[in-house]
Amino acid sequence: MNSIKEFMACDKPDGYAEKLLSELRKANERLNAFNNITEHLADGMPFSVKDNICVKGVETTASSKILKGYIPAFNATAVQRMLDNGFSFLGKTNMDEFGFGSFGINSENPARNPFDESYAAGGSSSGAAVATSILKHHVAIAESTGGSISAPAAFCGVVGFTPTYGAISRYGLIDYANSLDKIGIMARSASDIKYVFGILNGPDAKDTTSLDIKYKSENKKSIILIDQLIKNIDKDVESNFMGFVDRIEGMGYVIKHRSMPFIDKAIPSYYIIAMAEASTNLAKYTGFKYGFKNEDFTSNYNKFFTDARSAFGTEAKRRIVLGTFVRSASVKDRYYSQALKLRALLLQELNKLLSEGFILSPTMPIKVPKLEDVKKLSALENYKMDVMTIPPNLCGLPHISFPYAYKNGMPLAAQLTTSHGNDNAALDFVQEWERSFKYKFKYNIGELR
Amino acid sequence: MDDSEFSRLLKICRIHLSEDERLAIKKDTNDILEYFNSLSEVSTKEVHEAYHPISVPEKIRSDVPLDFPDVPLLLKNTKTYRFYVVGPDI
Amino acid sequence: MKIGLEVHVSLPTESKLFCSCRTYAEEPNTAICPVCTGMPGSKPVLNERALSIAVNIARALMCKVPTATSFVRKVYFYPDLPKSFQITQKDGPVGVDGKLFLEDGKEIRIRRIQLEEDPAKILRQDDYTLIDFNRSGTPLVEIVTEPDILNEKELREFMTELKSILYYLGVDIDRELKADLNISLSDVRVEVKNITGTKNLLDAAKYEIERQEKAIKSKQGIIHETRSYIEKEMSTAPSREKESDEEYGFIFEPDLTIYSTKRTNPVKAVYASKLAKEYANKYKVKEAAMRELILFNRDALALIESSKGKYDMKAIITAIELLQRYVKGKSRTSSETLGKVASLVEKGMYPDKETILQIEAGKDTNLGGNAASTAEIDKEIKQLIKENSALLKEYKKNTKVFNFIVGSVMKKYKANPRLVSERLEKILSSFRQ
Repeated sequence: MNSIKEFMACDKPDGYAEKLLSELRKANERLNAFNNITEHLADGMPFSVKDNICVKGVETTASSKILKGYIPAFNATAVQRMLDNGFSFLGKTNMDEFGFGSFGINSENPARNPFDESYAAGGSSSGAAVATSILKHHVAIAESTGGSISAPAAFCGVVGFTPTYGAISRYGLIDYANSLDKIGIMARSASDIKYVFGILNGPDAKDTTSLDIKYKSENKKSIILIDQLIKNIDKDVESNFMGFVDRIEGMGYVIKHRSMPFIDKAIPSYYIIAMAEASTNLAKYTGFKYGFKNEDFTSNYNKFFTDARSAFGTEAKRRIVLGTFVRSASVKDRYYSQALKLRALLLQELNKLLSEGFILSPTMPIKVPKLEDVKKLSALENYKMDVMTIPPNLCGLPHISFPYAYKNGMPLAAQLTTSHGNDNAALDFVQEWERSFKYKFKYNIGELR
Repeated sequence: MDDSEFSRLLKICRIHLSEDERLAIKKDTNDILEYFNSLSEVSTKEVHEAYHPISVPEKIRSDVPLDFPDVPLLLKNTKTYRFYVVGPDI
Repeated sequence: MKIGLEVHVSLPTESKLFCSCRTYAEEPNTAICPVCTGMPGSKPVLNERALSIAVNIARALMCKVPTATSFVRKVYFYPDLPKSFQITQKDGPVGVDGKLFLEDGKEIRIRRIQLEEDPAKILRQDDYTLIDFNRSGTPLVEIVTEPDILNEKELREFMTELKSILYYLGVDIDRELKADLNISLSDVRVEVKNITGTKNLLDAAKYEIERQEKAIKSKQGIIHETRSYIEKEMSTAPSREKESDEEYGFIFEPDLTIYSTKRTNPVKAVYASKLAKEYANKYKVKEAAMRELILFNRDALALIESSKGKYDMKAIITAIELLQRYVKGKSRTSSETLGKVASLVEKGMYPDKETILQIEAGKDTNLGGNAASTAEIDKEIKQLIKENSALLKEYKKNTKVFNFIVGSVMKKYKANPRLVSERLEKILSSFRQ
């Protein structure tokens, strides 16, 4: 029996929901996990929704000023399925604007790490990870394009699962990069995630790219390490990770070192595709149909649109400009088309490795950073922090980030990747790991006594 | 990317930058494009573009009309005048 | 002179191209949903019937139809375009390299045929706009020709042939036709955008040809530009700068996938223009009359094809003319009705409005009996002449008498007025001799 079923079955003490909400609001003032929290929490297991996923009648902004005031007239399919299965909507979680970021700092009020508030929560699903880390009984509906579930899950010490591309319907997800966006799940255990994944996966008539396949659990008892990825990272991260690999070996897994062609091309390929698609997705924000309103309808539409679009944050503007450039007819072959071809090559190479076993790496190449330090990084330095999370994200491969140790009070996390459709194997692997690992959390809001 | 190309791009995507933003973004732009240029090191002659990371089978709708039930809620997001959505001058 | 065309044809589907909203509605902004208003979070799903019709148009225009078809995003900013990109086709259109033949057999090459979504309707007010999204997302097919049209006559013919082919595919485009025109008299190409209806298309071409001729004569020169047609003035004027391909920045539409064109049920194309020529030769009738009859009349064509040998072709033509004259507001009459009228005409009768309407309403049980033979008509005419011999002296001065006799005979026998007139003239002239 998993904790979700237990929670749903048990009687809550009187005033449970009110107490939870008031404690959560208080914590949220410091941690900025939520963009908004519901007034009334129903009886079911609470779930939070990343603020780029539509909840009918609830403001949905993707943490962007340009979407301030947008009230969707429909539920995302993932949200509807949660509600249909007895879960209770808790609130919308903070994120990097439109998902553009790895540390959560591209938000008006960046989320803070619950282990230490001066540290980054990770991004872009920063609020989802913080919420999971502070709430005892809760699951988070998050979303990843290039690592937006793994990165914050790693920094906040929770389990973050990104399924096969298309496994969970994207209907109701505010697009960042449609061929890369995946709705996923965060929780405090792999078994909770597995339960929710069972509810959320499956085809949806409203999303052309949603898949109708059976999800397997095939485990070849082998772990692949891609040597190029593990070199050139933070030395502490490397040594701790190799210690963890020894423990996995002790669990009966064969460890195989491999090098992979083109792996250094994953980041540029990813950013070209992501920015090209994003620049088309963000074209719709012109200041009159929803969200931020430009009130002066008498100005010519070009001026009207340009004025309204000043409401985008700097990173969004950067990606719009670069994305527009890389798909311009005269350079499209060099950038956009070449990146799509490299995706094909990288997928081919990753599939070769995955036919031997799981790919394992640290989730992030650095220890949990301080907020003030990540603010100093250049855009390119920022992008390079996604070195571990981009390969599976670019190729739509299921992957899961989970904590394996705590050093100086902060979590250290690893990421396991498997083949398309073998999603349950990744979840089962972490369940196996959980038998000899004890999660630590600083908050347990909503704990039943 | 030179100044005029950069300005042309801003015009196409209807983005105006403050002086500070312009400096910050323009500086990074060249570093990032240089990084992107590294893709040309790989020969991809025989490779097909992967529009999706996984093959997406055809999904198609039959031609049956169905009214969206929450049009008023949808239109609440806009400014309307006698059923019409108000837009900028053309 | 070279003319190229881009014709936008609205497809007769019940629901929109990428969402289930109705394609028709009375009040503005009632047939709308998150998809066709571009609401964040919405996703497109392709309408099967729209794809089928588009593929059948491509086949009818003798295009190469690729086995797979796909969509792209074309990005530009305008208040009528809810997502600021249009989902259209570029590298994977439903058809390429087709052709259409004019009356005299001249070939106009078709460059490509693509399926795309229509933007919203935008109404310009004093200093703002009003937008109705009912039209947003309705399916369009764009037919792009090579610049093979050489004059206004060919342009008119092209439109007639195209409309006839589309008519027989169930796509009636007269009402909703929109076209862009490329005209170059010199080596400079001028584009005239957003022309609605065939008449405006021809007027726009005429104006633009004259304008360019003048400009060349006066050595003003012509500039490469986009113009729009102003219906009220029947003229063209420079219009807003349109983005170029460089700026559209086409990318594959990642919310959709690649679709097979094989799944669609092929509909056999009907080339009524070619058939008109064949039948005119075969049945010894005028080609123009035959074209008039069948270019936009599937019932007439069906009757002709089913009645090979059964009715005289001239009788069929007369029957259809009568039906078209009297049964107004009804574009379709059944082939049964046509058959009945044709057989009356064949028997020498010329059914009047009342009779036609009775046949149309199916209350025609007792019509066959009144067929008049020439002898009967002659007999009746002679009787009338006898009764009106005084009046007949004035025959030359007073055509009323002539018409009176013709009318009386027709009334009695439902006879063909041409036949009655012929007989009357003959009898009268025999009297005079």
